[in-house]
Amino acid sequence: MKSQMGDRAKFWAGGTDMVLLWQRGEIDLDHCIDLRHLGELDYISVEDDSISIGAMCSLSALERSADEHHLLATLSEITKLMCTPQTRTLATVGGNMCNASPAADLSPAFVAMDAEAIILGDAGERRVSMFEFFEGVNKTALRGNELLKEISIPLPVAGNIAAGYRRIDRTVVDIALVNASSALTVDASGKITKATVALGAVAPVIVRSEVAAVPLVGRSLDALDDAALAASGEAAAGDAKPISDVRASADYRRDMVKVMVRRSLADCIEQLKG
Amino acid sequence: MATLKVNNRALEVDSRPDRTLADVLRNDLGLIGVRVSCSEGECGSCTVLVDGEPHTSCLMLVNQAEGHEITTIEGIGTTDDLHPIQQAFVEEQGFQCAFCTPGFILSAKAFLAENPNPTADEAAVAMSGNICRCGAYPYIVRSVLNAAEKLRNEAGTQAAE
Repeated sequence: MKSQMGDRAKFWAGGTDMVLLWQRGEIDLDHCIDLRHLGELDYISVEDDSISIGAMCSLSALERSADEHHLLATLSEITKLMCTPQTRTLATVGGNMCNASPAADLSPAFVAMDAEAIILGDAGERRVSMFEFFEGVNKTALRGNELLKEISIPLPVAGNIAAGYRRIDRTVVDIALVNASSALTVDASGKITKATVALGAVAPVIVRSEVAAVPLVGRSLDALDDAALAASGEAAAGDAKPISDVRASADYRRDMVKVMVRRSLADCIEQLKG
Repeated sequence: MATLKVNNRALEVDSRPDRTLADVLRNDLGLIGVRVSCSEGECGSCTVLVDGEPHTSCLMLVNQAEGHEITTIEGIGTTDDLHPIQQAFVEEQGFQCAFCTPGFILSAKAFLAENPNPTADEAAVAMSGNICRCGAYPYIVRSVLNAAEKLRNEAGTQAAE
């Protein structure tokens, strides 16, 4: 359908952003292809080695999935920060990702969890890491007729993973001034084997801070003190490239990155220690 | 042309597909209990139930509602026979100007179907997608708790019969 209609057609998921763009005349289309008819893209499934979230899964369905896995519980808490209950029933996970706002709440969490986008195209499926999926403000790795099918979150074969998310906002129903998500993977002995820190609203894309992992990886969970978390936050702030705008100054955002990273890591540790 | 199932009636509407559900419900079908305020999904005034779930109808295109059961405030009670939630809002004075009330009542209906015995905090969070510019929030929370009790009693009576 999309290939027949070309650029004058656009996929329509929940439509909660698209209706507004349409009404403001910021998009001009002949056709919108309503994906709500694709019920098969509305799912959440937990396997031994991965969690799969269908692109048409609504934010409210994600919110209700908290009991299925502790990573879903983290994502569920994030959805509660997003829009309102009666808009979360419409808005979809895939639509939120394809809108590619650098301040989106779920995006840094998916990047921190090392999730992959599964993309459907004319030639079949391909996988792109969520980090590479975001190419700019409202720009994704989707090309031509391609469609986001699923977000796939890998789970460690041995050991455990936990993720945390923190944001600074002005009020509820607001977008993040700064946000950060981190994920820690530990092996059976409690040693940190992997740490991923992702930052939102501090660049046109989600920033993945490799240096923020340095103070964490290789240490045992019990040895992670406040100084280690602060060092990670400090390192992450060096990777942030925030702008000053009407909502916050660049300096404030950079300072808050340190705090958000530190707190999101503390959340991970708390979950891993149970 | 689209057929909408609204308040248990099938209604034909002749509409361009790019209009919002809120616009069609109000202006074509005369269901003016669907209030439109912010038009961007923040205030909750336009909340309707779609298959029992609350949706901001200002963000839905009319065609997206085809084939689904839509419930507006006109569909849950009448002046002579108020729905228990409406009765609770009257008793607790859960409004001043009442512009936002239909949205609050429909949000409450969906919420209480899921959580029949909420705490005040849970009720307040559940109502967080609706804005009341008169600031009647404490009364609205009390209304929701009162409604919950009414609905529980009703369910209890039905079960006993």
